[in-house]
Amino acid sequence: MSRGMIYKLFFIVFLIVFSSLLILPTVGTKKMEIKFSATSTAEDIEFVKKRFSTGGYELSLSEQSLIVSGRNITDAIMNEVRIYKGVADAKLLKHWVETTFLAKKINLGLDLQGGMHLVLQANFEGIQKKIGRELTEKDKNEIAQQALELLRNRIDKFGVSEPSIRPRGNEAIEIQLPGVKDPSGVKKAIGTTGSLEYRLVDDKYTAMAASWMGQNYKEKNLPENYDELKLVIDEISKGISLPENLETLFFYKRDKDTGAIIPDYPIVLEKQVSLLGTDIQEATVDRDEYGQVVVVFKTTADGAVKFAEATSEKNHGRKLAIILDNKVRNAPNIKETIGSGSGNISGGFTYEEALTLARIIKEGALPVDLKIIEERTVGPTLGQDSIEAGIKAFALGIVIIMIFMIAYYKVAGLIADIGLILNMIFMLATLSLLGFTLTLPGIAGFLLTMGMAVDANVIIYERIKEEIKKGKSVRMAIVAGFDRAFWTIFDSNLTTLLAAFILFQFGTGPIKGFAVTLFIGILASMFVALYVTRFTYEIISLNKKIKKLHI
Amino acid sequence: MEKTIDFLKYRFIALCLSVALMVTFGVIAAFKGGLNYGIDFVGGYKVIVKFEDKSVNEGVIRQALAEFNPVVQQIGESDKNEYMISTKLASASESVAGSTTSVKFDMLKSKLVEKFSNISIESEESVGPAIGDYLRKSAVKLAIMAVVMMTLYLAFRFEFKYSVGAMAALIHDVILSVAFCGAAGIEIDIPVIAALLTLYGYSVNDTIVVFDRIRETNELKGKQIFSEVINKAVTQTLTRTMITAFTTMFAVLSLFFLGGEVLHNFATVLLFGLVIGTYSSIFIASPVVMWWEKWRTK
Repeated sequence: MSRGMIYKLFFIVFLIVFSSLLILPTVGTKKMEIKFSATSTAEDIEFVKKRFSTGGYELSLSEQSLIVSGRNITDAIMNEVRIYKGVADAKLLKHWVETTFLAKKINLGLDLQGGMHLVLQANFEGIQKKIGRELTEKDKNEIAQQALELLRNRIDKFGVSEPSIRPRGNEAIEIQLPGVKDPSGVKKAIGTTGSLEYRLVDDKYTAMAASWMGQNYKEKNLPENYDELKLVIDEISKGISLPENLETLFFYKRDKDTGAIIPDYPIVLEKQVSLLGTDIQEATVDRDEYGQVVVVFKTTADGAVKFAEATSEKNHGRKLAIILDNKVRNAPNIKETIGSGSGNISGGFTYEEALTLARIIKEGALPVDLKIIEERTVGPTLGQDSIEAGIKAFALGIVIIMIFMIAYYKVAGLIADIGLILNMIFMLATLSLLGFTLTLPGIAGFLLTMGMAVDANVIIYERIKEEIKKGKSVRMAIVAGFDRAFWTIFDSNLTTLLAAFILFQFGTGPIKGFAVTLFIGILASMFVALYVTRFTYEIISLNKKIKKLHI
Repeated sequence: MEKTIDFLKYRFIALCLSVALMVTFGVIAAFKGGLNYGIDFVGGYKVIVKFEDKSVNEGVIRQALAEFNPVVQQIGESDKNEYMISTKLASASESVAGSTTSVKFDMLKSKLVEKFSNISIESEESVGPAIGDYLRKSAVKLAIMAVVMMTLYLAFRFEFKYSVGAMAALIHDVILSVAFCGAAGIEIDIPVIAALLTLYGYSVNDTIVVFDRIRETNELKGKQIFSEVINKAVTQTLTRTMITAFTTMFAVLSLFFLGGEVLHNFATVLLFGLVIGTYSSIFIASPVVMWWEKWRTK
């Protein structure tokens, strides 16, 4: 074996080992931690245990939490458990591979684990009427962004952990809620426009609330669930004996990793509202004379008077909180009296942060109401049936293809089958790295690529056979077969890649998944056939005496 | 050397057969009222319901929901007693008049709950007309893009005549498969579109393997005329064409039989597509290249 071949061997072995590692979180057992609240009873715990008594789960109970491990643990199951009585929180624990290699496990789509999928769109006609002109594409996009911000602000109202909220196209918003059974709560959270108001911050009591938190609140993370957080708020207010005219709320920040809006620290505000959301007419992002990113706003005629009052001499140095749906999103310092009806907010924003703030302010000026234009709910039973059917079809398809290849090509067929298995491992590993979501059409795409993956081998083998027939030696035939087949495989697969790419562009949820599997599958099969299988045959032809090839 | 099969001899028979199939499917489809677009494209409501009451059947459900004019179909194993009920938006204006689509569907759902006790809703989908419109537009746009991009690629890697042949085969497959969907009453929904696009990819892939061989043989042709070159290349790649068709067919068949209700239409379209995709790359693509070559050199 030459030095080059040894390097190749190392490279291939490394790829196989690394890929196998990456798919561990997907195919291995998963763990979920269920925390019980302080008030939970023994029956509550028993009830949860009973839920996992069938289905091959392993349970281990410590003081206030239960660790469930098993294969079938999904976001949907986590969200189901979260609403059980006596359960404070449930979350999936990360596999060590996930934390070490930045790989994610392949999630199941809502069609397989059950849940609710919504597509929302702003009521453009209504807004058009209000502002009295046709909306341009840019307006619509901006309105959709504003609505997105509003929904992120209400993420806790959906009753699920980590819902996915993202724009679809330029005008619509897609929400995925695994495990949601009752859509009415979700619809309520979507159905109202945002309430925006501006209130003065009380610095003295805010400082007291902060020190109360430091002394009394030992948990690492604040609860994201609004009802639980309300309990904390009540305790704070009692702890610092808050007077009647003040109120405690939480300041929310954006989590850098997930993009979710999460509570950060308590802030005490006057109950009296200084300005309504509707008092401000317009907010845009600009740069001030020092080149800093600022949010520039303009008030209405009424608003100008109120604003001058709120920013008058006596309030200089205080903070004016911007509150969307009872969440404080910003609290700029009042530096000077603004009587002209326009001013700006600075604070070392990044451009993104400033845009977010401008959108929040606009939600007061031009509230966006949303309508549901697409809704899909899949129950957990159907999801379970679908995944079982999918896996059954997949397994049978693979087995038949493998048997066929061995029957037709003998030893060479076996090599192709090993290639097929490697192909599967590489594919799953790549999909894990991409944080892919597996849907039922995705499983179909997977199986289909397996059917087509052997094509590369077939082209090569047929070519080698021909070369042998032409009278070439086995070794020469192998080299010629791979060389000649290379461009055939390249050209034919590239067009399929084009088709997959276009499907991806067209794609809504499940189709995108299908396109991605097709795309990755073709790449993986080309790599396996043209690199790994070729290497195998290079090793075989090291045997100089080889006279006959089982092909 | 193996005997070369004279595939080109059958070119007129193949052409007649294809046209006949297209016409037959087209007529049946027209008779059935054109293509049956699913709710993904026209907007509507689809619900899968499981009834505890074993005496329920399609007729009973249809009658109970008569005012919504639903399509009712039993799915899965019969002892499961699961039905798929769907209604489509009759027209875009209906949704405007009724403000939102979901109002009507909430009515259907509450009617269902009112008329039948002990039901469980396994899944529900409601799609507004705006989405359907958006999807239809982007589907057409991207289909055109796909054809243009593939043509360009082939013209770049091969010669233009091969582009013509591959695209002729592709268009042949598109017409036949869509007509087949119409004739078989297969609802055009998003998975079916995915199946159609996949089979076009497959068909072009298949065609290119043959063309690649034609090109190669043509470069070493010596005294052979072009039609002989084509026949020889098609014959040489025939084993590969068949084996790949078989392995892919195994995958599709197991989806067809075991993939469950959701993938049934998807698999049916692929099954049909595999057959015509393979057929067109042998009997349609190559003759077109030859015709084009003849017409150009005239």
